Amino acid sequence: MNEDRFPGHKFLPYLLIAPSIVVIFIFLIGPFGQSIYESFFVSTPFGTRTIYVGLRNYIRLFSSPDYLNSVTATFKFAAFVIIIGLSISLAIAQLLNQKIRGVGFYQVALIWTYAISPTIAGVIWASMFAPATGLIPYIVSKLSGGYTLNWMTNGQLALFIVALAATWKMLGYNIIFFLAGLQNVPNEFLEAAQIDGASPWKAFWRITFPMLSPTTSFLLFVNMLYAFFQVFGLIDIMTRGGPGNATELLVYKLYRDGFIHLNTGFASAQSFVIFFVISVVAIIQLRIVTQKTIYYR
Amino acid sequence: MKLRKNFLIILVLTLCLLLSVGTALAKPVTITFWHAMSGSRLGVLESIIESFNATHPDYEVTPLFTGTYAETLTKYVAAYPSKTGPNIVQVYEVGTQTMIDSDAITPVYQIPGMLGETWDWAQYVIPITNYYSVDGNLWSMPFNSSTAMLYYNKDLFEKAGLDPNKPPTTWKEMEEYGEKFLASGVVDHVYSTGWPDWIFEQALAIHDHLYADNDNGRSGLAKKVVFNDDFGHMIFDTWTRLHNKGIYIFGGTEYDANSAFISGQIAMFIQSTSSLAGIIKASKFEVGTSFYPRFEGYPVGNAIIGGGSLWVTKGQSEEELRGVWEFLKYLGQKDIAIQWHKGTGYFPVSGAALKTLLDEGWFSEDQAYLTAFLQILSGKRDTAASTGVRLGPFVAMREDLVSGLEKALAGVLSPKDALNEAAEKMNLKLKDYLELHGK
Repeated sequence: MNEDRFPGHKFLPYLLIAPSIVVIFIFLIGPFGQSIYESFFVSTPFGTRTIYVGLRNYIRLFSSPDYLNSVTATFKFAAFVIIIGLSISLAIAQLLNQKIRGVGFYQVALIWTYAISPTIAGVIWASMFAPATGLIPYIVSKLSGGYTLNWMTNGQLALFIVALAATWKMLGYNIIFFLAGLQNVPNEFLEAAQIDGASPWKAFWRITFPMLSPTTSFLLFVNMLYAFFQVFGLIDIMTRGGPGNATELLVYKLYRDGFIHLNTGFASAQSFVIFFVISVVAIIQLRIVTQKTIYYR
Repeated sequence: MKLRKNFLIILVLTLCLLLSVGTALAKPVTITFWHAMSGSRLGVLESIIESFNATHPDYEVTPLFTGTYAETLTKYVAAYPSKTGPNIVQVYEVGTQTMIDSDAITPVYQIPGMLGETWDWAQYVIPITNYYSVDGNLWSMPFNSSTAMLYYNKDLFEKAGLDPNKPPTTWKEMEEYGEKFLASGVVDHVYSTGWPDWIFEQALAIHDHLYADNDNGRSGLAKKVVFNDDFGHMIFDTWTRLHNKGIYIFGGTEYDANSAFISGQIAMFIQSTSSLAGIIKASKFEVGTSFYPRFEGYPVGNAIIGGGSLWVTKGQSEEELRGVWEFLKYLGQKDIAIQWHKGTGYFPVSGAALKTLLDEGWFSEDQAYLTAFLQILSGKRDTAASTGVRLGPFVAMREDLVSGLEKALAGVLSPKDALNEAAEKMNLKLKDYLELHGK
């Protein structure tokens, strides 16, 4: 802290940051501590009786095939949303960065998916795939001569469709950032490469992609948080974790156990596990990303 | 700093002012009421509350929509420790045992005594009050009750060359009709259901088969489920077979499949009677209704009810309790119960309302509304199996059943293994509940 900026007021800086510290303690650290504490207990919904059970909630969790399924589903889902989602977004952003007629229209058309609320997006996708009335099962049935595409009884299909919807929903956000990143790549570099005889493909991988890396690393992080935490609304509207727990991602399972089944101890244990998993993934990602990211200027 | 201090003082003063204005204006006793009624039901409920407030100047019922049934219960649980909950809360039937064990409510049957009144509970429709009674005493006020029945599309029946006045009455007929429908090519799939967990409970109850021990959890906390026997396996087998033949199409856990029936994609539909008004309004064909199909050669039980009831929070002032009681009595009044029934399709809870509806020809005008009544009034009423299931962790257990059914239909497990796996998970939940709530 630079003393000269607050001459004679030694404690003023502390006082000024106090409100945010207080907010963090009240809304983040306090509840977090409490949920760790509660993960060692089971209690009645109304809290009339609480029993200490030690590590039983954790043992239950790891010995439950449903939970392990949920972990696998979450990682599959996240991998799809992050890898496929970012690749498609980058490709689209690259196309939108060309000088073509009506590019403004295409930009808006591709970006506005982000402005749709998860509820609406969920309803759109769910009705598109509705087994008896949806457009896509209808087309599939006509083309294949009677095959019933029913994602309400096909777990892998349901997970795929939910991941597709989640990717589509995030597309606009990713495209905006990639587009901004692409527009910051100095044209001189690309022109110089062109003069030196580099193919557009090579120029992209050697110049554009490395120069985009700050954007890419930011988006990697945001998309990971999105895939792990923010897809809740979409799942709740589309599948509610079904069929047969196939789309019950970690954060959704936590919600159901804690807020619908009113089993707070079990849900608290899950929240600690998610915290742990996310921290590890985040640390690894930050390590790799900060090493590989190239910041120009 | 000074500015901030001043700001704080102003803030506190404003709050005080607001609060005092609030108390000064609150002349009629305010009764807060949390409910989960959305869509067309909300309008009917609001107009009933408006007319109550207009006719009872001493009280003011303020309704608050608190989300789905599950969300409403969660909010009620969360509000309880800080005493910020409502006077009355609407809870779905699966939450009944949770509320009984909550120690947070005053059983409805005690309220007249607390206010020095007597009340004749027999004026309500018995199969409905039975569901919410413990040892013959009513714990919550029945409000929106429904049961499951068979809807069918008469136009499609004719197209497929079937008699539109002969809906299937057994599961065997469901299969035969289904095959005829598929052969005729009128539809790609023949039937679907809403609420598969509840439809399964119905299948047990109408054959007088228990769901869980200790009389379905009605004579004491249940220790284990008992449906995973030959009969239960046969239900799962039948449904899976019909699904594999393409007759049954799984339609989600609540009301997702309503649109498939309304748009004529399927010919038959097993769903809550509370969807009746909506289905009749939205569909362009003639809607037929009939009883839930039976399995031949098994005992007769009764269709059970579902829906919600109203619970009264414990520890209210006598003034508030009087208001609550006036409101509950008002809802049971003949005209109000009729208004509720006609607007929504839920049962009118009082016997007098039922008689008036009969007298004015409501049922002969539209027989579809009669099916639900005949069904719950025609079966057995004296066994636990036909009264309904009451389990502590029922919400979570129902999900286990649905995912079991989904696994059987998807072919991940055989119907038998899927049902057994679900039963095992449910038994663990019952054991945990017993550990917490056992005396």
